[in-house]
Amino acid sequence: METHGVMKVTCEHPLQQILNAWARSVSTGQSFKKNPKPDSISEPVEMARYDRAITVFSPDGHLFQVEYALEAVRKGNAAVGVRGTDTIVLGVEKKSTAKLQDARTVRKILKLDEHVSLAFAGLTADARVLVNRARIECQSHRLTVEDPVTVEYITRFIAGLQQKYTQSGGVRPFGISTLIVGFDPYTGVPALYQTDPSGTFSAWKANATGRNSNSVREFLEKNYTETSGAETVKLAVRALLEVVESGGKNIEIAVMTKNEGLRLLDEAEVEEIVAGIEAEKAAVEAAKKGPPRDQ
Amino acid sequence: MEPMACQWTDAPHSMGTTIMAVEYNGGVILGADSRTTTGVYVANRASDKITELTDNVYLCRSGSAADSQVVSDYVRYFLNQHTILLGRLATVKTASTLVKELSYQNKSFLETGLIVAGWDKYEGGSVYGIPLGGTLLRLPFATGGSGSSYLYGFLDQAWKSNMTQEEAEALVVKSISLAIARDGASGGVVRTVTINEEGVQRKFYAGDKLPLFHEEIAPRPTPIHAN
Repeated sequence: METHGVMKVTCEHPLQQILNAWARSVSTGQSFKKNPKPDSISEPVEMARYDRAITVFSPDGHLFQVEYALEAVRKGNAAVGVRGTDTIVLGVEKKSTAKLQDARTVRKILKLDEHVSLAFAGLTADARVLVNRARIECQSHRLTVEDPVTVEYITRFIAGLQQKYTQSGGVRPFGISTLIVGFDPYTGVPALYQTDPSGTFSAWKANATGRNSNSVREFLEKNYTETSGAETVKLAVRALLEVVESGGKNIEIAVMTKNEGLRLLDEAEVEEIVAGIEAEKAAVEAAKKGPPRDQ
Repeated sequence: MEPMACQWTDAPHSMGTTIMAVEYNGGVILGADSRTTTGVYVANRASDKITELTDNVYLCRSGSAADSQVVSDYVRYFLNQHTILLGRLATVKTASTLVKELSYQNKSFLETGLIVAGWDKYEGGSVYGIPLGGTLLRLPFATGGSGSSYLYGFLDQAWKSNMTQEEAEALVVKSISLAIARDGASGGVVRTVTINEEGVQRKFYAGDKLPLFHEEIAPRPTPIHAN
């Protein structure tokens, strides 16, 4: 039922090719040969305009386009994911929305299927495209094998897609890193995975991506313990507060449980948790200063 | 000696069937018999012909078992994506339209009559009939399958609008039982699914719980012989 658009590829008349080569030489100032060699060895003489590779190796073994994509991720809003024993929490930094903008339509935590969700850092439009492909794959998997996807499967799919775009003609890598969370549909075991523009993926107990992700990850490394329920939420919020301005307005939290799936916490709930954390911090500070000395 | 080609085992599964769905005051009730045949052999005497499309929309299947299963699988595939993208439950109309699209666009390959029914907050309970060619028609009640022939006259007289849940359920069970009595391709048990604002409720009426009509003999438990 679905059709894919087919790109028309025009084949040029040899005389036209020569004319184009001459026109190019006029504009670039380079000399023009009647039978020019193609630019790269892999490319046939000007058959299609869209098969030139953009992501190619540098002499010292770097894929610069991928590294530039990681830069784009580093500039994106912070995102954190924490895996508990029965709860998984995703948190993202919410940039202050313009007054006239409808905040509900700016979503950085997205559902892939009833039991799998994704948060990302980087180019929002790229994420939209990738998430749409992943959503279709989740349903396609259900249709063909009559089973929901595992978190690992869909992560592998998304990472595979990201890798494909580093090794295909005419395209650039996706400018996003994703945090994919979910429960195994049969064992109920929670999982957290991360993918990046190069197409690598791995499983984590807790991770962060986007702006200041190193600081957040450092905090998580210092403070991570096996938690469940509200404790997991608190850990995620504390981690995010390391780099984000305090307040429910700047943080979006989503909690995932086996039975209830994904639930976005509303602003009031987040404010409550933040207030609780601040109070704890203040109490710790006060205790450090010691009891008030007698006059 | 060539092995005898057996029509029983080689014929494709067909659901002779009686299916129906009725709108009542607050929701819908779907009902079906449970006989699946290959030729004259009853391949499954307790099949479930009422399939879930989403939490709030179900489908009654008749005709070719394979065709109706594939259609419902594909509709679930599309509706799941639609629901995740939309962020809320799909409407009965959307589900019915998807079923119609598949039925109509593939009419030369399919042989299945379907009834889509469910509840959503915009229209309340709704019933849509999608017979063989792929027509889509919203109706207050719909019937389908070979057994439905025996119900037209009965329902003309017995159906009334705005029934209560109990009245509607009784009507569905009585209708299916009447059809089972007269149609050889329908039989077994009666399954009903009630969908309203509160959710979905499945009911099961075993053979001995069904009403008896003129000249029918009461089912007896098979005596157990000690051998």
